[in-house]
Amino acid sequence: MRTVTRFSTLERAEHIAVMALFVVLALTGFPQKFYDHRWAQLLTGWLGGVDTARWFHRAAGLAFGALLAAHVLRLVASVVKRTTSFSMVPTRRDFADAVQTIRYYLRLGDAPRFDHFDYRQKFEYWGMLLGSAVVVGTGLALLFPIQTAQWLPGQLIPAAYVAHSQEGLMAFLVVIVWHIYNAHLNPDVFPFDRSIFTGEISEHRLQHEHAIEYERLTQGPGAPASDNPYRRLSWPVQLVVAPIAGSAFAMLLPAIGVGVVLKAAFDALPGRRARRRDSRSPS
Amino acid sequence: MFRPPGRFVLPLALLVVLAAAPAGAQTPPAVDNATCLGCHTDTSLSIKAGDGTDISLHVPETALAGSVHAKHNCVDCHKAMAEIPHPAAAFVSRRAMSVALTEQCRTCHFANYTKTLDSVHQAAVARGDRMAPLCVDCHGSHDVKKPSTPRTLVSQTCAKCHEGVAGAYARSVHGQDVSNGNPDVPTCVDCHRAHDIAGPHKTEWELRLPEMCGRCHADAAKMKKYGLSNNVLRTYLTDFHGKTASLRRDQGKPVNGAVVARCPECHGVHDIQKTKDPQSRVIKANLLQTCRQCHEGATDNFPGAWLSHYEPGLHKAPLVYAVKVGYSVLIPFMIGGLGLQILLHLWRLRGKA
Repeated sequence: MRTVTRFSTLERAEHIAVMALFVVLALTGFPQKFYDHRWAQLLTGWLGGVDTARWFHRAAGLAFGALLAAHVLRLVASVVKRTTSFSMVPTRRDFADAVQTIRYYLRLGDAPRFDHFDYRQKFEYWGMLLGSAVVVGTGLALLFPIQTAQWLPGQLIPAAYVAHSQEGLMAFLVVIVWHIYNAHLNPDVFPFDRSIFTGEISEHRLQHEHAIEYERLTQGPGAPASDNPYRRLSWPVQLVVAPIAGSAFAMLLPAIGVGVVLKAAFDALPGRRARRRDSRSPS
Repeated sequence: MFRPPGRFVLPLALLVVLAAAPAGAQTPPAVDNATCLGCHTDTSLSIKAGDGTDISLHVPETALAGSVHAKHNCVDCHKAMAEIPHPAAAFVSRRAMSVALTEQCRTCHFANYTKTLDSVHQAAVARGDRMAPLCVDCHGSHDVKKPSTPRTLVSQTCAKCHEGVAGAYARSVHGQDVSNGNPDVPTCVDCHRAHDIAGPHKTEWELRLPEMCGRCHADAAKMKKYGLSNNVLRTYLTDFHGKTASLRRDQGKPVNGAVVARCPECHGVHDIQKTKDPQSRVIKANLLQTCRQCHEGATDNFPGAWLSHYEPGLHKAPLVYAVKVGYSVLIPFMIGGLGLQILLHLWRLRGKA
């Protein structure tokens, strides 16, 4: 079976590191959030007490922060050096793909064809990046409250406390619901999408799941590069616009689904359907 | 049918014992008080202790008159002395005699005697500390009175040894109110207990703390009387300090002896003042100093991190409130929205298969 390389060794290592740190952070963090539940107390006991759990939480948090910083610095460098393809940055097309996919689910149209990363992958990547920035930033404020209050209002500390705890919960739920579905339970990949570990994707899957990229690759060296609007901007503008687009997409994807479903339901109202039929028929 | 023989023996025996119990006070004693006082009103009556000092055996005629034991006989407590002439008794000192005699209290007051066995005072007695308090040191020997009538009597009793803290208590919001006859404010024994007094530096005491204050301060009816919030315990427990206290408590030990800030770390122990009192440790002017007890190097903004037992709201800590409300909308929206897309996908696939 022919395969195509999809992730570099560094990217695969990053994923494994995030996985491991995520497990440590969740195991040591949630007992603190849900301190008055029996399971939280038992878990804290198994971890060697709240102080040991906190030590691991902080160590893992600092490692996670370092990982995030290294990743972001690498991205910035690739933007400045103009070596990035911006294949992960959402464009107008991703919003359209999301809408079209939901319409396909509702049997209102055909499934869209995707390029190197589809809109779900972009959503998850940017959601992860945005969420990480929130938990790392608030985590640092909580780890160094005295230093934080030296420059900023004290009220930021309890605000950071709420944000850290709730963002952690949201990240956990998104992983449980969205990531576990897309990487494991989704019938297309069940039981387990190995790409992020092997770095490879089979030609068959590429053709099926990333048709636009597949066509470009099979056309050979003469094929036109994918048309990416971000390429045309200067790098300082790219550094501002790309994260804004990514964050906006990460926040808006759930709304897109709800919006499309609501619109479809509205269109399907009997009166409206009749009126549309009327306007189409020649009078 | 099987019937155990003598099934009435035990209840009958109990009845006999119960009937006999108050008899000590009613039936004529082996030796009546007049007989005792015949000798013991002599002011010069004494015996020589092992340490060379004289132990006076003088008892004033009215010794029991005002006490709760007024109807008792001398020999109810001084049982061995029912034998006349008295059996020989040698004591190293007057204190040694008290230690020996205090054992008599348990014959009637067994429950409280048993509690004292767990107390920090008994631990000192067991160590051989001759100054450690016995029943009679708090309750009196012949002049035993109701220990908490009036309630101010409690702290006066403890003050006999614990002078420093009793003074601080007397000046505190609790101590001042107890002298005004307030029945709600705590005296020493409401926090420390009366007989099973735990050492205040013992773990079990440390871990009991937030609830101890909460017994009154989380009581809505009681707090309403004084215009105080009964939300203080809840807001503490959901804060970082309170969570730490709860989780450490579950492990049954404070870690490295370091106890997280609980009620007294900020409000004081015996010298607790009204939060609006200029002397209060938690009034705005003093709060930074109070935080610095643990958070060395804290600056002016730092106390703002503590919401003073308030729930975040539009008027108090609006930023915290905004974050709270924001996430309580965002999380269900995010998870619900993504869940919807997954369900739609599965629904579509089902149709295909």
